[in-house]
Amino acid sequence: MMEEKEKFDNEINERMKEIVIARIDAQVPSNLKLAMGTYGEMSKEEMIEHVKKGDETGKQIVNRHILFLRALASGEFTRAIASVE
Amino acid sequence: MREGVLLTLPKYDLVTEYLTVFSKDIERVSNEKGIFLKSLKETAVNRKEFEDVLNKLNCKMIVFNGHGDEISIFGNRKEVLVKVGENEGILKDRIVYARSCAAASILGKECIRNSKGCFIGYVLPFEFYFDSEWIGNPIKDNTAKWFLESSNLVPISIIKGNNSGESHRRAKNQMLKNIKKVLRLRTPESFSIAESLWNNYIGQVLLGNEEVKLCE
Repeated sequence: MMEEKEKFDNEINERMKEIVIARIDAQVPSNLKLAMGTYGEMSKEEMIEHVKKGDETGKQIVNRHILFLRALASGEFTRAIASVE
Repeated sequence: MREGVLLTLPKYDLVTEYLTVFSKDIERVSNEKGIFLKSLKETAVNRKEFEDVLNKLNCKMIVFNGHGDEISIFGNRKEVLVKVGENEGILKDRIVYARSCAAASILGKECIRNSKGCFIGYVLPFEFYFDSEWIGNPIKDNTAKWFLESSNLVPISIIKGNNSGESHRRAKNQMLKNIKKVLRLRTPESFSIAESLWNNYIGQVLLGNEEVKLCE
């Protein structure tokens, strides 16, 4: 049972990584760099590499994409930007 | 406590260079408003100098630029300036704005205990995009401007006489306005910038006294 759950979680994580990589690839122009707190600055290619490796920086990048997608799905993002002139 | 500002300006990598360059607006407004401001620059942003200057000048407001983590704020070359369990008491009763990574999570909470002051910072890593074509002249980087000018509004609004709560809200509001503006531009980078601004928007928190002002 635990093994099945672990396998399921891993599959979800792998799919999430794929989605994040596709989003970075489609949305970030190659002249831009991201400065992300103590994780430092990184190019588009470096961001993708961190996500592929699944290191701490990669996890943080995935986490921030999830937070944004949740805000989009829940309507929080749309409500917030509609609240300003 | 002196009605003045202590501003840290480390500059040892691209991230701190951008933060430092864009802090010029904070210095300019402070000067225009006749508010005392002491800048600690580059190698002077070390713990000894920071503590000595703060003890001597006793500024009511501190603006930190630089790296950090949940329990610490760093200065030059990641030297710890303030750390939970070591010297967080130095921030008590002050207005603190920390433009650094996640320091509001634990350090911010610790330093507002029994304090009349506040801590404005981030529970997520503060982030910004910049254009690699402008690293030689960051102030002209229109990509970084979206992030650093809106976050500058926290200290600038406080220096202009608003209380901490109003200043915190103004900066967050400006982030939302910037998201709206950048999405309307429909440039290749619009969506990335909007997402990153959203990260700072949800990550910025005010802990402690929402009514405190620099000049009472």
